[in-house]
Amino acid sequence: MKPTTFFKRALALLAGSVLFGAGPVKLLNVSYDPTRELYQDINAAFAKQWKAKTGVDVEISQSHGGSSKQARSVIDGLQADVVTLGLAYDIDSIAEHAHLLPANWQTRLPNNSTPYTSTIVFLVRHGNPKHIKDWDDLVRPGVSVIAPNPKSSGGARWAYLAAWGYALKKNNGDDKKAQEFVTRLYKNVPVLDSGARGSTTTFAQRGIGDVLLDWENEAFLALDELGKDKVEVVTPSLSILAEPPVSVVDRVAAKHGTTQVAKAYLEFLYTAEGQEIGARHYYRPRSPEVAAKYASRFAKVQLFTIDEVFGGWQKAQKRHFDDGGVFDQIYLR
Amino acid sequence: MFHRRFLEARAKGRAARAFFSSAIARGAMSSALALAILSAPARAQTPDQQPAAQTTDQKLEQLQQKVDELDQAVKVAQRKQELAEEAAAEKAKTQATVTADTSGFTIRSPGGNYLLKIGADLQLDNRTYLGTGAGSAIDTLVARRVRPTFSGTIYHYIDFMFRPDFGQGTTAIYDAYAQLNYLPWANLRVGKFKPPVGLERLQSDDDTTFNERGLPSDLGPQRDIGYQLSADLFKKRANYAVGVFNGVPDASIGTDAAVSDHRDYSARIFLTPFLPDENALSGLGVGFGASGGNTDGEALPAFKTFGQQTFFTFASGVTAAGHRTRLDPQAYYYLGPFGLLAEYALNEEGFQKSGVRREIAFRAYQIEVSYILTGEKKSYASPTPRKSFDPLHGGWGAWELAARVGDWEAEKGIYNYGLASAATSPRHLHEWVGGVNCYLNRLFKVAADYGKTDFGGGALNSNKLPERIILLRFQINFI
Repeated sequence: MKPTTFFKRALALLAGSVLFGAGPVKLLNVSYDPTRELYQDINAAFAKQWKAKTGVDVEISQSHGGSSKQARSVIDGLQADVVTLGLAYDIDSIAEHAHLLPANWQTRLPNNSTPYTSTIVFLVRHGNPKHIKDWDDLVRPGVSVIAPNPKSSGGARWAYLAAWGYALKKNNGDDKKAQEFVTRLYKNVPVLDSGARGSTTTFAQRGIGDVLLDWENEAFLALDELGKDKVEVVTPSLSILAEPPVSVVDRVAAKHGTTQVAKAYLEFLYTAEGQEIGARHYYRPRSPEVAAKYASRFAKVQLFTIDEVFGGWQKAQKRHFDDGGVFDQIYLR
Repeated sequence: MFHRRFLEARAKGRAARAFFSSAIARGAMSSALALAILSAPARAQTPDQQPAAQTTDQKLEQLQQKVDELDQAVKVAQRKQELAEEAAAEKAKTQATVTADTSGFTIRSPGGNYLLKIGADLQLDNRTYLGTGAGSAIDTLVARRVRPTFSGTIYHYIDFMFRPDFGQGTTAIYDAYAQLNYLPWANLRVGKFKPPVGLERLQSDDDTTFNERGLPSDLGPQRDIGYQLSADLFKKRANYAVGVFNGVPDASIGTDAAVSDHRDYSARIFLTPFLPDENALSGLGVGFGASGGNTDGEALPAFKTFGQQTFFTFASGVTAAGHRTRLDPQAYYYLGPFGLLAEYALNEEGFQKSGVRREIAFRAYQIEVSYILTGEKKSYASPTPRKSFDPLHGGWGAWELAARVGDWEAEKGIYNYGLASAATSPRHLHEWVGGVNCYLNRLFKVAADYGKTDFGGGALNSNKLPERIILLRFQINFI
């Protein structure tokens, strides 16, 4: 047998064993707390599309928790093929500490790898008995605010920064007054959960607090589940544009041989179908067409970005959320 | 009056009560309700006094507010407790556990992928030689084995063992190896350990029925450095091991480095065909061990009696050189408290004197039987007493009687070729040993053996007296 023939046969054998011997392709999506329901629908839709396109079955597992906690798990060895976390800094951490993906990961997909956006709103009890309309109402004495811990939750960090940004604007950029405002706000927080879903449980199921600082999508999910006779969503006058990012975890995907399907999975989030699923789960779509179609689901609110007010996540993280940062000072004091 | 009405009110099971589960909440509710009840007669006595009614409403509102605040405080406390418990459970998933029990001290990572066990193997012997046959041997207490043991697992698939020995005034590494257990049918072991040849040699030092091993173990390697593939197959009905080693003299642990370019190749197959079922034959095991190699440059072997006296010395100018083959058929049989172990060793080893190489054959066998009087099950490993030694509470540990007969022989050529002196080195030994073992508990054993060794061959047939010894051992072993 010629050597070339031998290698061709060996290659065919290898390819055959890969294609027919491995079963369905398996992906692990490590995500943040409130995306459970979103990715259940995304996964089903993508698996169907992938099967139709390639003939290969794909099984996608989900892991959820506080965004930073999830990033820590990936750094510690959780075998995520893709991460869909609450904020870019957490994926930066994976790149920096575990070198599982390149530092420029955010440039690989449109919109800085954030296929959908969200914001921070208030969930209050039916009838809004404490008359909570805007951020100022959260610092009133006697108002109990429920929010997760910014040290472990991405949503909590967005909420903290939203409050800070509001206070800055109200006080003409006076940073000291902004800190006083946020300090007063967190004095009204009786319990810190580790993630957004835990805070929703605290507020909705345990009946604690007058207002829940929450992701917009999580608040509407609670509204759908609990009913309008139990809770109401209040949109503040100003909030932050939350941009939850996504990325393939290159080294893990390469090790699993899932790079191609992982990329396709994340690209699916930008398709019309992926954007519609997101919108149905109250994530604000990037696609103008889908955004227009679902415009009535989202309140019009003035939004600022983290870059505009805080100079990006790296700066915000270092000043506010690192150990010994402003949050530690105001909450532990 | 108040108390009775309050109790009645409570008995009616007001809806608010459902909110309160803690003592604090119940106390608050009791106060609120009590005040509310107290205010009711007053309102009835002055129905036309509007200011008083407003005051009462205000009080009720204040009380309601207080109740709500307390309700929230209780719920917050409960939620904090929940979160603390969740955090503790989460932390436990990543925290190592530390245990100390009869198997030693263990540190284990969550999931068991990383494990460190610290144990020890201590044997203190009291040797009493009887009569004059032992020659210059003196009665002594000796720390026979003093071996701290570090073993465990790293990266899930890799086991390791490190065991030095500080006994008998020396410091030596006995075991130092890592074993990759990735393939269930081929575990790769690398380092210093027991080569797969002799049955009793492969038995743990703490599990042998007698305080010293039988004569076949004099003809096999004790420890060597090398590679080994081994595994249990067919639901433990078969065990195989093959390895490549530096090569060491008989009963030696070597010098931790090869002395020539030659290697020893060892292999062993051991069958327990009636496992895993429990029947009259499930305790039967038969096997065969062998090794082949070259003795060039090695030290000469040193053969010892049961009393650990070197009984054979080679003539001056003799060196180890040439081929060495070891063959070792072996078997055991255990049934309930009864045990039988039999082993035969046949060696052919090369020696050189005055430029002439000769191969000499050595043969040895042993048959040992034992019976555990207290009924525990005998096996290749030490028995665990049904009741640990505690006479005041009816526990006597496990007691065992055992006997062994054995023989060792070098072929006549060892004299004829001038490799040893017929006047000083016997070429034939015959021993028998009787013993009583008391396993006080899982860790502690006291064993008393009486051994008699007769010497023969050459000019010694008639004039070398037998060695007789009482060997008492105290053993602590936790690994």
